[in-house]
Amino acid sequence: MKNIIEIDGLHKRFGEVHAVDDLSFRVKEGELFAFLGVNGAGKSTTINIMCGQLTKDSGSIVIDGNDLDRDIAGIKRGLGVVFQNSVLDAALSVRDNLESRAALYGIVGNAFSKRLSELSALLDFNDLLNRAVGKLSGGQRRRIDIARALLHKPRILILDEPTTGLDPQTRRTLWDVIAALRKSENMTVFLTTHYMEEAADADYVVILDSGKIAAQGTPLELKNAYTGDFITLYGVDEDAVRSLGTDYEILRDAYRLSVPNTAAATELILAHSQIFVDYEITKGKMDDVFLAVTGKTLGEPLTKDEGGARG
Amino acid sequence: MKTAFALIKRNVKLFFKDKGMFFTALITPAILLVLYATFLGNVYRDSFTANLPSELTLSETLIDGLVAAQLISSILAVSCVTVAFCSNFLMVQDKANGTVKDLRISPVRSSVLSLSYYIATLLSTLLICFVAAGICLGYVAAVGWYLSVADVCFLLLDIFLLSLFGTALSSIINYFLSTQGQISAVGTVISAGYGFICGAYMPISSFGEGLQKVISFLPGTYGTSLIRNHSMRGVLEALEAEGVPDAAMKGLCDALDCNLYFFDHAVTQPMMFLILVASIVILVGLYVLLNCRRAKR
Repeated sequence: MKNIIEIDGLHKRFGEVHAVDDLSFRVKEGELFAFLGVNGAGKSTTINIMCGQLTKDSGSIVIDGNDLDRDIAGIKRGLGVVFQNSVLDAALSVRDNLESRAALYGIVGNAFSKRLSELSALLDFNDLLNRAVGKLSGGQRRRIDIARALLHKPRILILDEPTTGLDPQTRRTLWDVIAALRKSENMTVFLTTHYMEEAADADYVVILDSGKIAAQGTPLELKNAYTGDFITLYGVDEDAVRSLGTDYEILRDAYRLSVPNTAAATELILAHSQIFVDYEITKGKMDDVFLAVTGKTLGEPLTKDEGGARG
Repeated sequence: MKTAFALIKRNVKLFFKDKGMFFTALITPAILLVLYATFLGNVYRDSFTANLPSELTLSETLIDGLVAAQLISSILAVSCVTVAFCSNFLMVQDKANGTVKDLRISPVRSSVLSLSYYIATLLSTLLICFVAAGICLGYVAAVGWYLSVADVCFLLLDIFLLSLFGTALSSIINYFLSTQGQISAVGTVISAGYGFICGAYMPISSFGEGLQKVISFLPGTYGTSLIRNHSMRGVLEALEAEGVPDAAMKGLCDALDCNLYFFDHAVTQPMMFLILVASIVILVGLYVLLNCRRAKR
C-alpha cells in the first residue's frame, strides 16, 4: 500500500504555545487511521493545516502526491471533511445545502442531481431532502454532514469526532456506511475520536500529546507495548486465585488477573492447569494504552500550560 | 462562474430566510415611518409654512407633497445603507458559526467567495430598496405627485449607487468582525446611528457647525442629498411656480439638505455623483486588497 498522506517535521506555534511540534507520520491508502489526543493536543491544528485553513511554520505535507506548498487546490479536491459540529446552513433545506456545497467543486445541474441520488440512497436521506437542516435530529444531521463531505468523491475522508453525541444505533449506521465506502472506493479515513472502541478498530493509531507524537502503531502493537493481558478466571475460590501470586481484581462472578503479556499468561496457565479450567485471555483496552502513554484520559480538559489556540 | 452563482443564490436565500437579519434591516426605515406618522411630519409641515411669506397661501397637496418627498428620500437613503449592512452580516455569521471553514476547505478561490458575498448583498439590498422605492412612489402618487420621469430615473440611479456604496462600506467593516456579539453591536449602531448621520431623522443643516463639517467628509451624505434633490425637485419647482421668493427657496433647499456645502463651497449634483462613484471605487478596491492579503496569509 502506498502512502496517501506524508507529514514530515511539521511545526506550528501560536505565540508561546508550540501547538504542533516536529510531527511526522504516514497514512497508507485505504486504511482507517486514528489520530488521538486530549483536547488541545494539536489534532485540530494538524487537520486545519492539512486542509489549508492554517499556515504551517515549517515542515512538509504531501497528500495524494500533491505538495501542500505547491498545489493546495489539488489537495482540497481530494479531501472531504466532517467537522465536529455541523456547519451546514440551518435555515436552508438539505437539498439547497448540498447544492451550494457541490457547486464549490463545480458539480452542478445533472451531475449534482445524479450525485445527490447516489448519496441519498447510500445514506438513506431521500425523505429529508426538502427539510431545513436546522430541524433535523442529531443523527439525521450527521448523515447530511457526511453526504456533504462525500459530494466530490474525495480520496480521503477526515472525520473530526464524527460520532460525539450520537446514539449507539446512529453511530453503528455511520460506521457501516464508512466501512462500505472504504471497501467499495478504497477511501482512506482519517479519524479523530473520543471513543476508544472506534480507535481500536483502526488500522493504525497515532497518539498525540502536547503537539508531539507520544506513541504510534497498530492497536495490537500499542496494546502489547503499553498494556498487559488479562485472564478472567471463572469457577474458582479466592484462595486458589491468591495462591497464583498475581495481582487480581474481584468481579461479580469471576476474578480478573493481570499479567505482563500473553506469554506470561500461557506460562501461568500451564503451571496451574488444575485452576485454569474455565477462563479467557484478553488484551488491554485502548483506554489503558492512552492512559499509559499520556497519563490522561480522553476528554480530560487541557491544563493551563497546554492551553492556547491548539485544536 | 457557476460556483459564484450558486454561492450568490445561497447567500440571498439565507438573508431572506433569516428573519432576524431581514427584520433588523428594516428597523431604521420602520423607525422613520413611525417618527413621521407620529410627529415629525407635522413638525416639518409647520416649519415649511412658518418660513413662507404670510401673504402666500399654498395648497395642502403641495405641502403634503413636500413632506412626503422628504419622508421617502429619508427612508430610501437610510435603507440603502442599513439593508446592505444587515444583509452583509451573513459574511460574519458564516465566520461565527464555522460555516466559512466548510466553504474554504473546498478548492473555491477566496476572491469568488468574497465576490459572492458582495453581489448577494447588493442584490438583496437592491431588491428591498427598489420595492421600497415602488411603495414610496405609490405613497407620493397618493399624496401629491410632482415628479417627472427623469426624476424617477435619477432616483433609481441614486438608490443603485447608494446601495453599491452601502454594500462596499459594509463589506469592509464586516471583514473585521467575527462574532455574533460584534454583529449585534455594529447592527445596533448602524441601525440607530446612520439615520442621524445621513440626516434622515433631522436635516444635517439643523446640526451644529462642527458636526456639519465632520459629516461633510462622509461620502454617504452626498448620496442622501442626491436622493433628496431628485425626489424633491418637482415639488420645489412647483413651490417656485407658486411664487415663493428665491431667498426663501434657497433657505428651504439649505434646510432640507438639497444644497450641501463643503467648507462653504456649494457641492453641485455632478460633484455629488463624482464623490459617490469615487468612494464606491475606493471602497471596493480596499475590499479586494483586504481579501488578497488574507489569501496570501
